[in-house]
Amino acid sequence: MSIPVTVLGGFLGAGKTTALNALLSRAEQRVGVLVNDFGVVNIDAALIAARQSGMVALSNGCVCCALGPDLGEGIARLAALEPPPEHVVIEASGVSDPWRIGQLARLETGVHLDAVLVLADAQRFPALLADRWLTDTLQRQVARADLVLLTHTDLATAAEIAATRAALRRLRADVATAAMPVDGVPLLLGMAHAAPVRFRAEAVSGHGFRQSVWSPPATLDRAALLALLDALPDSVLRLKGFCRLGPQRALHLVQRAGRRTTLEPWPDPAAPETFVLIGTPDMPSDVLARLCRERNGGSQGSDIAASKPAEP
Amino acid sequence: MSGAIHVFTARRVLTMNPALPDATHVAVRDGRILAVGGAAEMADLGPVALDDRFAAKVIMPGLVEGHSHLHAGAAWRDPYLGFFDRTDPGGKRWSGLKDIDTVVARLQQAAAAKPTGSLTAWGFDPIYFGGRRMDSRDLDRVATDRPVVVTHASGHIMNLNSTAMAIAGFDRVNDLDGLVRDDAGQPTGEVQGPELMGRVRRVVTPDTLSRALDADSLHSFGKLACQVGVTTATDLVSDMSDDTVAIYRAATADPAFPVRLVPALSTRYFNPADGVARLNVLRPTSTDKLHFKLVKLHVDGSIQGFTARLRWPGYHNGAPNGLWYIAPSELAGMLEAWHRAGAVIHMHTNGDQATEAAVEALERVITAHPRPDHRHTLQHCQMPDPALFRRIKALGLCCNLFANHIYYWGEEHVAQTMGLSRAQRMDACGTALRLGIPLAIHSDAPITPLAPLFTAWCAAMRLTAKGRVLGEGERISVPDALRAITLGAAYTLKLDHLIGSIEVGKLADFAVLDDDPLAIEPVRLKDVGVHATVLGGSVFPASPPA
Repeated sequence: MSIPVTVLGGFLGAGKTTALNALLSRAEQRVGVLVNDFGVVNIDAALIAARQSGMVALSNGCVCCALGPDLGEGIARLAALEPPPEHVVIEASGVSDPWRIGQLARLETGVHLDAVLVLADAQRFPALLADRWLTDTLQRQVARADLVLLTHTDLATAAEIAATRAALRRLRADVATAAMPVDGVPLLLGMAHAAPVRFRAEAVSGHGFRQSVWSPPATLDRAALLALLDALPDSVLRLKGFCRLGPQRALHLVQRAGRRTTLEPWPDPAAPETFVLIGTPDMPSDVLARLCRERNGGSQGSDIAASKPAEP
Repeated sequence: MSGAIHVFTARRVLTMNPALPDATHVAVRDGRILAVGGAAEMADLGPVALDDRFAAKVIMPGLVEGHSHLHAGAAWRDPYLGFFDRTDPGGKRWSGLKDIDTVVARLQQAAAAKPTGSLTAWGFDPIYFGGRRMDSRDLDRVATDRPVVVTHASGHIMNLNSTAMAIAGFDRVNDLDGLVRDDAGQPTGEVQGPELMGRVRRVVTPDTLSRALDADSLHSFGKLACQVGVTTATDLVSDMSDDTVAIYRAATADPAFPVRLVPALSTRYFNPADGVARLNVLRPTSTDKLHFKLVKLHVDGSIQGFTARLRWPGYHNGAPNGLWYIAPSELAGMLEAWHRAGAVIHMHTNGDQATEAAVEALERVITAHPRPDHRHTLQHCQMPDPALFRRIKALGLCCNLFANHIYYWGEEHVAQTMGLSRAQRMDACGTALRLGIPLAIHSDAPITPLAPLFTAWCAAMRLTAKGRVLGEGERISVPDALRAITLGAAYTLKLDHLIGSIEVGKLADFAVLDDDPLAIEPVRLKDVGVHATVLGGSVFPASPPA
């Protein structure tokens, strides 16, 4: 089975190490983490089950591993573990573009890219962005992130948080942002980890994010679906589900991370025709149903449903 | 007990010691210089063996290459595809290749000679080809049943045949940064940047520039060094693994190995604490022929690869700014660790913004922890303006400038990266010397050929491959250029007490030349023949007897 990979980016001081520490100590799944600097990851000694060169195994099944000069080798090392991790998280260096790491991860066999997350310090981001040496580096990190997570929101004032959000929007108008949950980074993992035909949405609850389920109409028109998803508010962070598209009612897997939607034909007819959405606490629980009603002037389905298949 | 005294005579001995610039005799005992001057200075030495085999030649200090990589030796296991003629370790001169068809033809020959396994080649340099760029279809004419990987001269680009593209997975997932596409959106087989090239090296085949160092590499490097008068060379990116160190030790312990080595521990392979510890273990094991003291860190990428960090106005062609390889905010911490550990820090900064970041970090570190005579050196340092050079001077930094760039990529810098005005001040040897900054110049071999006299010619003439003088005001005199490839480079390695000039007490390392570089037209400097080198008094002919 393919292992989902999350890339965690953000400039130095954004809180990547803190987030990874929280993830490793509280993970409900076996997570394999590739970190830049092994030395600074401060894993609770009580959690350490085994240690070998460049790798620490935790009693909860997680593994932390130094990311050498070769990303592919690091991924391969984790994937070769017995049992393999259920999810891989790669820490991008503070100056790198995490999306590029995501691109490279996609080249590796046995894994697939789940999401590229970028952390931004809610107190310092605007000042960093104004640094003459850093502007373009931060811009690049945000430009293609699936989601920007604001960190240190417990320390920042409302005005600082607003300034950071505004700075992020100036960099990229359609950027998806959310506050980093107090209990660490394991957001979206449940979603991403879900086997294609079965969602483990429960892993998401308790991390400060909301979940919503929507049953699409029996048949959808591809263009109308894409338009509908494009109209989703920024509070929707992830979406995954199955539906039937077009006159042939062909089953498709629909995935959306940040502003990126992918549709692919799905061979297994048993897949449930349901969408699961993960969003910030601002996300209305009936967000898709409501949007659908609004677009259709009240009655669900008539506009976006495809014309009936031709009679044989 | 002292050994015998050996006196070399020459048409002229250029000492690089301004107090006694010219001599005709140099006496050697126990591998060191016992006396230098004329017959008078030899007269009070007691019995000597007079050696006049160089009587018609010119002796200068052994040349010092302050920025090279030892895998330059191993490169010649693969076919050379460069635009310019180049000499291999065996002394064979390979003609430059001027178009795609001749490149393919040389690869086809290599393929015939090596019927199985992947085919790698190096030095490909199409910038003066004109017309279309090479693509996978060209390399498919070489082979389709195995990967063909061609690395460009700059080291920042590769061309792959379709087999190599498929093995790398670039046919499958192709929305990758660094994958060049044609107008129809199809990948052309050209791959740019360390990420994708790293994948090719791991998944497809190691290329010429990424093979692990081995004894044969050093052996070949020694031959190349002899041909061009080099007696001390750096290996400026070293992993300092036990294996690598063992190779250095074995080579330098062999009296037949004609080069002193100065490897630099690359911070790429160590976190600061482990790196400092490693260097501290190695330092006391240094010998006369193997010196552990340098650390190398990379602040940015390359100008022609558009990964160098440039200040305003950025890249001439509008390309986005390059990449930080170390965050500017982390730089001071790293530099402080190495500075306080007593290392000589060599900092790769190509673009002027990277240089500025390094200078700013060092201002803080050196102010907080003064260390006289640190010899920290900016490597490449191709773009500072005079004001930034004045800050470099104020901190007591040295510069090792990439003079060869003017010849090999000067026209590219005019057209693409900097425009004429800034390109005229690149590798500003003239400014550095006017400010009194200790200066070395380099080849970055194998990126450009190891040949310090050629490098000195570049700094003195500033001619591009098209014959344009790029920055008249930054030209330096031949004596200054010769100093930069001897004592200047030795100074940046903090070895100027041992090498770099012909003075009593120093090691007896010489380059023996056919012509007097000070008596010829500067434009002929690159053509001065090297007859032999002398290392610790032992003679190594430049071209071994057939």
